[in-house]
Amino acid sequence: MALTGEKQICLEMLSIVKQFPKVLANNNINIKLYTGEILALLGENGAGKSTLMNILYGLYKPTSGEILLNGQAVTFASPRDAIRHGLGMVHQHFMLVETLTVTENIILGVEPGRGGFVDYKAAREEVRALSERYHLHVDLDEKIENLSVGLQQRVEILKALYRKAKILILDEPTAVLTPQEVDELFVVIRKLVETGVSIIIITHKLEEVKAISDRVYILRRGEITGVHRTAEATKAQLANYMVGRDVVLTVNKVPKEVTKPPVFTINNLTVIGDNKIPVVKNLSLAAAPGEIVGIAGVDGNGQAELAEAIRGLRRIESGSLLYKDKIINGDSTQFRIRKKMGYVPADRRRFGLVLPMTISENMALGHHLDKPNAGWFNLCRDYMQSNAKKLVTDFDIRTPGVGVPAEQLSGGNQQKVILAREFSWTPEFLLVSQPTRGLDVGAIEYIHTQILRMRDNDVAILLISLELEEIFSLSDRILIIYEGQIIKEFQAGGTNEKEVGFYMTGGKERSHE
Amino acid sequence: MNTFLAIFNADLLVSTIRLATPIALAAIGATICERSGIVNIAMEGIMVVGAFMAVVFTFLSGSPWVGLVAGILGGGIFSLIHGAATISLHMDHTVSGAVLNILALGVTRYLMILFYGHPGTTDSIPISLKAYQFAIPGLSRIPLLGPLLFNQTPIVYLSFLILIAATILMGKTKTGLHIRAAGEHPLALETIGVSVYKIRYLGVFISGLLSGAAGAYLSIENAVSFSEGMTSGKGFIALAAMISGGWSPIGAYLAALFFGFADALQIRFQIMSRVRIPAEIFIIFPYVLCIIAVAGLVRRSRAPKADGKDFMIEKSE
Amino acid sequence: MNNSKKFLPGLFLVLIIVFLILGAILYLAAYFWGFFLILLAGILYFIRQVITLGPAEAKLNVKLMGKKLMVPVVGILCSMILAILIMIITGYDPLTVLKSLFYGGFIRNWHVSVLNATPLIFTGLSIAIGFKAGLFNIGAEGQYYIGTMAATYLGLKLGLPPFLSIVLIYLISASAAAAYNIFPAVLKVKTGAHEVITTMMFAHIARYLSPIFVLANGGDPATSTHVYVTDEIIRTNFLPYFSSFLPEANYRLHIGILIALITAVAINFFLNRSKYGYEIRAVGANADAARAQGISVGRNIILALVMGGFLAGMAGVTETLGLNHKMFQNLDAGYGFNGISVALLAGNHPIGIIFTSLLWGALDAGGQYMSRTTGVPGAIVEIIKGMILFLIVAKYIYSWAGNRLVSRRKARAEEGLA
Repeated sequence: MALTGEKQICLEMLSIVKQFPKVLANNNINIKLYTGEILALLGENGAGKSTLMNILYGLYKPTSGEILLNGQAVTFASPRDAIRHGLGMVHQHFMLVETLTVTENIILGVEPGRGGFVDYKAAREEVRALSERYHLHVDLDEKIENLSVGLQQRVEILKALYRKAKILILDEPTAVLTPQEVDELFVVIRKLVETGVSIIIITHKLEEVKAISDRVYILRRGEITGVHRTAEATKAQLANYMVGRDVVLTVNKVPKEVTKPPVFTINNLTVIGDNKIPVVKNLSLAAAPGEIVGIAGVDGNGQAELAEAIRGLRRIESGSLLYKDKIINGDSTQFRIRKKMGYVPADRRRFGLVLPMTISENMALGHHLDKPNAGWFNLCRDYMQSNAKKLVTDFDIRTPGVGVPAEQLSGGNQQKVILAREFSWTPEFLLVSQPTRGLDVGAIEYIHTQILRMRDNDVAILLISLELEEIFSLSDRILIIYEGQIIKEFQAGGTNEKEVGFYMTGGKERSHE
Repeated sequence: MNTFLAIFNADLLVSTIRLATPIALAAIGATICERSGIVNIAMEGIMVVGAFMAVVFTFLSGSPWVGLVAGILGGGIFSLIHGAATISLHMDHTVSGAVLNILALGVTRYLMILFYGHPGTTDSIPISLKAYQFAIPGLSRIPLLGPLLFNQTPIVYLSFLILIAATILMGKTKTGLHIRAAGEHPLALETIGVSVYKIRYLGVFISGLLSGAAGAYLSIENAVSFSEGMTSGKGFIALAAMISGGWSPIGAYLAALFFGFADALQIRFQIMSRVRIPAEIFIIFPYVLCIIAVAGLVRRSRAPKADGKDFMIEKSE
Repeated sequence: MNNSKKFLPGLFLVLIIVFLILGAILYLAAYFWGFFLILLAGILYFIRQVITLGPAEAKLNVKLMGKKLMVPVVGILCSMILAILIMIITGYDPLTVLKSLFYGGFIRNWHVSVLNATPLIFTGLSIAIGFKAGLFNIGAEGQYYIGTMAATYLGLKLGLPPFLSIVLIYLISASAAAAYNIFPAVLKVKTGAHEVITTMMFAHIARYLSPIFVLANGGDPATSTHVYVTDEIIRTNFLPYFSSFLPEANYRLHIGILIALITAVAINFFLNRSKYGYEIRAVGANADAARAQGISVGRNIILALVMGGFLAGMAGVTETLGLNHKMFQNLDAGYGFNGISVALLAGNHPIGIIFTSLLWGALDAGGQYMSRTTGVPGAIVEIIKGMILFLIVAKYIYSWAGNRLVSRRKARAEEGLA
């Protein structure tokens, strides 16, 4: 008890084990939460943080183990139970109904009022009182779709508090926030703690842990590798516990001299987003054969729209795309594919594959009109099949055969199908967006190796990633995108994660210059 | 000028409201159903079932009021098949709807032969709901609006009440709020502890009840018997009304009025036409209008985000 | 050695095709021994698979085929049981009813079944191609009317040599139906208007246009004895009859069914073996991915709906040139709706549609025979059809039931362990 003085334990998770069919996600985890503290759960993607919190929130049933709430053993069959016991969770993907107002979202499911009618007046008063008490100000009659991400998160917190949450779980709360919003969030969190709420923050960012938490548990591969008072631990220590080795991903990147002129250039590109305001503004960049240009940035800073514009899926407002010294602004996607521009989309299940179609059919996608996949009218199924078989062996895709639908493959193997397809016809320019999202470490390493191999084959590669580690392990040059603009450029060796992270969140660069 | 007055008079508005009533009832039902996230193209079939049930029970009991209740409930119960198929059995919504439309034709034809001994048209009922047309004292004296709104037949009154009730339901009640959430972000609703399945079943059931009422209107208020094909696409026009009305009960009603007006107008033109033009040319008019309305308005109105999307509760293992 | 390896499967293939075609023609014309030829073709196919793929894989293929057929077979059986229940409840003897239903549909009036199935194959294909592109061509009935009208008109006016004339009528009339479906297709692409509503509305428009057409082409009371029918089309524009080369075939049976079979095979090739069919399937399965890989979604939507219109139009042409030879005013054929059923039932597989259409046609023909001989309302067939459809399309029923079984078994096993 020396660690926390006289504070009380409000929640305990004892020897939690969660065995998924193939993975041991949580192995004998013990966690204590004291009333009114801010606890951080630090770990890499796939370390088991989310699984643990989903167990706590009633979404998963633990294989074994116990949850004690104020000393009482409890089991949560569903989030409903968890909420009733005073737990609240702010999911990474918000659970808000966009077309409803803030008030309606907050009271949803526990509306005040009699006889089936909602007493909107009372509801507004209650919510207003709540928001004033916690200093969480937000326009109560505005629809969610008109709010910024930061404000939406605030609504989520209010939603939990309205349900009298005593323990609040925040899942990667800063992933989509601007630095200013992060500061505001921290102020809010501290306010909440003062009123007796206990907080668990799930994160993989060291900065955050240092900035806000009282104590920190570090998870690695489903096990607790350390628990510290934050003030007493250095970042280096924490990183070591979290990663377990000095470098996370060991891909063999041989430095390569770029000798050729750029094959793909963007000049002053402006693209309009779905909400009809410019999301890519006056952006310029260039990629030469044999180099990987990494674009680092927080999600939602125009990366998706930039990728769509390069692929020809989104109209270009102004500026130009230059490929092999020709402007391709108006050319169709099909034309770009035939000119050997490759694309590995961020959302592979939605944009990369036609899941109900077979692997051999997916391997031909995009080139299904051309020889040797097709004749003047017919498909050459023999060729498609033998080609798919070859690629399945080359890329080590685990599948029962090339005739099975792509939806039957695991995420990593699906991604390998896309890579195999894009690599197989020797592209000269390759746009790779989030190539390893949601994959396990083995698949990540394999895919990184393949991308580097393409670079060594003199392909110009534009890499868009939200993962700094990925940017660093692959890129030769690093560009930082913020609010649709490239605000900084680094050579791979000339910077570190901290510096890049600083600019990614809109760092004060522009005021310096 | 005379012809003009003969077409555009108060009577035209009265028949507009009458012709709009079945479309409006079904369209309001469809609105609630789709706001909860279930696409319902089975309304045509549900109307057929409702119309048939209404006639049979009027026939059996001698009272069209019993028939009305039977028609409404018959539609409601039949719609639950759509609910089970789409919600519990995760079937594609349009496919299930199309299958139910086909099933409704078969079921009514079979039962008709069983009850009446022949397909086609049923025997006439002794008394229709039209006989119960009544004027609300005082209010019906208001010029123009009086005869229009306050001297009507029962189901027309019912449709007014339902419009008000549906508006209150969607705007003021807890259930309405849940329905709106279920059609936009079902997972958000489920994690908060409200069963999306229940809400969606409710939405389908309400649309079944209202489509049943629409069917009853066609068979025991507007006519005195049931005949196959009497719905003539009204269920689909109701869908169009729902879309043109921007997925709101009032919008749906207004759109239905518009289609009813087109129908009333074409009937007038048919009667008034001096030249020998086939009547069918006029009958087509409302359908054409329907296409134009949907094509013109569909981009402007916004469908519920999870409309037609299957929702499966993830099982905690 | 190498030569014989290629020669034998090639010979088998030729034999299989010959037997299959001959058998099908004979069987459809009620020469039931044609079935043995079909059976023979099946056996040869299996042997050929053993030769080319080896016995293990051939067995596996048969097993897979059997698995695919499980759901339809179980669905049909279940709905039969339900139908028997309904008959018992409503007071009919299920045994005699079913006997006369099947005897009537599959043996006695088989030619009626074939005649019923012919237009269904076309409309079924029309709807299937829409589904493959993720579209619901619910208004195929309307395109059928347009095809019928155009065929009747041309049949009345076009007096070219028989073969040429028929080919021209097919092409022009079906194209007219295809053109009619361009409107909903373009509206879908340009405005997003849902094809369920627009094609349905266009179907109603076509339905109301048809009386006008009938009136203008012989249905005029002043010149015709019968108000509701057009004049008969020119004799040389009739489709040939089976009886002209198979003397024992029913005199009404025309070669439309063969055109339907050929069309089904062609559509199967188009969808599964051609690059344009590939695009349609990709758009239907995942429009976003298709677009990201350079496939034009709008163009394929239009292509699928236009082809759907063409096929539904062919149904109308075949009915007109083969069976009716004129157009009735109140033709309420229901081929559009039944086409939806056969397409869904076949899982949108063009070859499967041939069989489901024949089943549907046989149920209708058997139902008529049954109501004539036993007095049971023929409409019970509609209910049987509805139930078959429901029990097959709602496949999830089986996996749901299966999951429950498995989980119960698992629970029992766990109890045993504990």
